[in-house]
Amino acid sequence: MSWDWAFVWQIMPTLLQGLKITLLVTVLGAIVAAVLGLVFAVLRRSSIKPLAQGTSVLVQFIRGTPLLVQLYVIFYVLPDIGIRLPALVAGVIGIGLHYATYAAEVYRGGIEAVPRGQWEAARATNLTMRQTWAHVVLPQAVPPMIPALANYLIAMFKETPLLSAITVLELMNQAKSVANSSYRYVEPMTMVGVFFLVISLISVALISLLEARYGRKASR
Amino acid sequence: MTFRFTALMSASALGLLIAAPVQADTLDDLKEQGFARIAIANEPPFTAVAADGSVSGAAPDVAREVFKRLGVPEVVASISEYGAMIPGLQARRHDAITAGLFMKPERCAAVAYSEPVLCDAEAFLLPAGNPKGFASYEDIAADPEATIGAPGGGTEEKLALEAGVPRDRVIVVPDGQSGLKMLQDGRLDVYSLPVLSISDLIAKSGDDSVEMFAPVVGAPVYCDGAAFRKGDEALRDAFDVELAAMKESGEFAAIIEPYGFSAAAAMSTSRAELCGE
Repeated sequence: MSWDWAFVWQIMPTLLQGLKITLLVTVLGAIVAAVLGLVFAVLRRSSIKPLAQGTSVLVQFIRGTPLLVQLYVIFYVLPDIGIRLPALVAGVIGIGLHYATYAAEVYRGGIEAVPRGQWEAARATNLTMRQTWAHVVLPQAVPPMIPALANYLIAMFKETPLLSAITVLELMNQAKSVANSSYRYVEPMTMVGVFFLVISLISVALISLLEARYGRKASR
Repeated sequence: MTFRFTALMSASALGLLIAAPVQADTLDDLKEQGFARIAIANEPPFTAVAADGSVSGAAPDVAREVFKRLGVPEVVASISEYGAMIPGLQARRHDAITAGLFMKPERCAAVAYSEPVLCDAEAFLLPAGNPKGFASYEDIAADPEATIGAPGGGTEEKLALEAGVPRDRVIVVPDGQSGLKMLQDGRLDVYSLPVLSISDLIAKSGDDSVEMFAPVVGAPVYCDGAAFRKGDEALRDAFDVELAAMKESGEFAAIIEPYGFSAAAAMSTSRAELCGE
């Protein structure tokens, strides 16, 4: 099958429209994942047993089921109990919630990697809880989290095409609709791959920079 | 079922690998392998897949009978999105499309259609009482809030886009059940399919909060045909001969009329007319 550059330029505006949605979903999803992940991590450390266990079960449940199934439930099943979210919102919540559980594990790992002695020393020097977190724990816990969180961010970015299944007009869906009306798959699908590859490569480069800057402390 | 399907697919893939350089007569190949691969949707009454995986619907039933008469005893169906059918045909994933893929000039340019098989007008599925009074695709284009659902790459999607409904208000719906559900949930204002498909959906749902508007104003009656690869005109012509004989003998009507389709409608028009040749 022949490659047609003229066709590529012709579909470019449509694909860029889709790319905008893909990036929007990634950014919003990342925010949901970062915040909700922290909530999960904190709840799992809660001294209230049922709360900690409940969160743990929830996290395991979300991690143990496919994102696609979760998206279908959010999009098609929630309306039955009166929660009707627009497709984009459903998608952001679905992907954000899914990756929040991974982020929570990263947070937990980072926090638990801070040696017990540091906590004890903080208490011995009479620091408040806030001071302990702000000046002792987080400065040591956050740097090793960065590469792991960034990897999940890229993974999440690459999973956004799943949202086409719940009618979100992101890059993949736009490419499919272009292919549907032109009967040509080569150019739209190749361009989708190229967009994802270029953005992933740029992100990987940025992450290496971040790691070089903050990650050294992580190599414990 | 899956195993047999996979086995068949790999057998046919192997056959293709071997046969590819020679470009032998397609019908002979099909006779030899004993089955034809057809692309279908899952949109009753055009095409239907039962819970046990068996394929029915008017389009596959006609194709099965015609292929049998051509000496190809079986058809193996794979479900595909409408928009993916023609590329799949070109990529040799199917030998024919028998799915209610209506003839339109741009499709006629891409594939070799048989003579008409199934004809139907377009319809809207709407909330009961048609609160927004939609009667045409233009009406939907004119309402800046309205969303319309349609199958991806299907005729209705194209009609909506051609009428000026912007891309982000034409929601690609994967199948009839999802379309009905999205309308019930208020995600869609209109869901558009051919008349018989909408009737079938309403009948199966038993939901009186939705109703049908048909025929859609300004949309003509379309007919599908079995679609073959360009280059497989010999196979298409052989198909047409048997199809014509079945139309003549009344066996054609006996297959499609129980599904609600009109044999007279298919027999009163022709590929030349529908393709604008």
